[in-house]
Amino acid sequence: MNRLLAAALLAATALCAHAAGIVRVVTKDASGNPVADAVAYAVALDGTPQVHPPSKPVAIVQKDQEFQTYVTPVVVGTRVVFPNKDNVQHHVYSVSPAKKFEIPLYIGESSASILFDRPGPVTLGCNIHDWMVAYVFVLSTPYFAKTGTDGVADISGLPQGRYRLEVWHPRLAAKVERELVVAESGDSTQVVSVTLRPDRRIRRAPDAGGADYK
Amino acid sequence: MATLTLLAPLGARADGPYVSDTACLVWLDNATNASSGDGILGAFTVGAGGTASWIHSGGFSTLVLTSLSADLEVCTPFSGLDNVAVGPRLEVRHKLDVGPYAPAVFAGIDGQLVGFDDPERSKAEGAVFAGYSQRFTDALQLVVEGRAAGCDARETVFTGSYARLGATLNWDPNETWRFTVTGGWRNGDTVAGYEAYKSPSGWEPIDPGAYELTGPWRHVATFSKPFLDYRVSAQTWSYGAAISPAVGRNTSVTLGFTRFETLGPDPYISDEVRLSIAHKY
Repeated sequence: MNRLLAAALLAATALCAHAAGIVRVVTKDASGNPVADAVAYAVALDGTPQVHPPSKPVAIVQKDQEFQTYVTPVVVGTRVVFPNKDNVQHHVYSVSPAKKFEIPLYIGESSASILFDRPGPVTLGCNIHDWMVAYVFVLSTPYFAKTGTDGVADISGLPQGRYRLEVWHPRLAAKVERELVVAESGDSTQVVSVTLRPDRRIRRAPDAGGADYK
Repeated sequence: MATLTLLAPLGARADGPYVSDTACLVWLDNATNASSGDGILGAFTVGAGGTASWIHSGGFSTLVLTSLSADLEVCTPFSGLDNVAVGPRLEVRHKLDVGPYAPAVFAGIDGQLVGFDDPERSKAEGAVFAGYSQRFTDALQLVVEGRAAGCDARETVFTGSYARLGATLNWDPNETWRFTVTGGWRNGDTVAGYEAYKSPSGWEPIDPGAYELTGPWRHVATFSKPFLDYRVSAQTWSYGAAISPAVGRNTSVTLGFTRFETLGPDPYISDEVRLSIAHKY
């Protein structure tokens, strides 16, 4: 009986491994350098897998008058809080079509979490410190990952099937997508070249003798 | 840094402090405010100062800023122009919408107590100001500010009541570099200097044309030569440009040039070259 159970478990494990592959996405810019903070995601072409937002809100911290996370990918239905760990107040806002909101001047924990209920990119800013910028990328697929400084993102849990692999980045100059087939054999590596616009940030250095908060 | 230490207990009860320090080296080519041929003398000034600001929420998109500044200037070779200044500032700033391109309006009052090594120049100033700030793109920002004061205490160039309107256009082609052009108009009391000599009847200007000035005058011993200073009402136009590289996120260096052209019965021109560094904590 025990042997039978063990054999059944092994078979189930093997089946799951085939049904849940890992796609490693390697992003490079035009110069061949790795691209950090890109979101690689796979959209199923056969069916619509359900997304399950996390039960606890995702936190995007403000510290040293910057958002500590430049890009935060979340699934539709995720709540996000914006703890302010600075000693000055922030006024977090977005005017993006996917989510418009603002949290007026506060310090410490924000009073309420913000529900991101539509897919798409959301640009975050602080209405006091114009140089502060960050992005929430809201996804309607559960299969996604963000690249690290090495430009690599591992999308895990992909069942066998056909997908459209897309890559998003705040400075993306042209849409990046390709069809992807996850075979029964499992894992694969996709090398993706992306073209980025120049990194344009509002200057935060002070003026000599000038007042701040202009 | 002494300023910061003194203000730390206050800051613990408020939002902040937001602190910045500056140091500067200034060349003024006409420290005597003299017309051409009437005793123009230039001077270097070395300065340092600090400002601590506290931020209070005045409601939706509205800030109330309170600050306290302290500055020290040492002028070579005219020690009479050495001065220390302290002053508070209260400013209300409101952004009319959300986003980096939303315009902001601001208004407030400030004051300064300035003590010069030449005691006759020491004075107190109280002013009201109001302005408008607009960022057109990530790279381009305009600030317009008007100011009216009972006395121009900080400037050695001017004295007496005045009104001033100025505009600043900042262009930041990237996060490091800033190019600035400024323009301003000032209407109010000015002081024009005339090189003088001592006659049997007292101090008299070398330039006989100075006798046509009707304003009050007095002998000034601040400079290496004797001067008679006339107080007149006049308009001053100023325009300048500056280049300012950022040195990291919290520090910048600025090299700027400003020309002041004072019109009226005794026109004179002053050119100022300023090298400064600013750091915020």
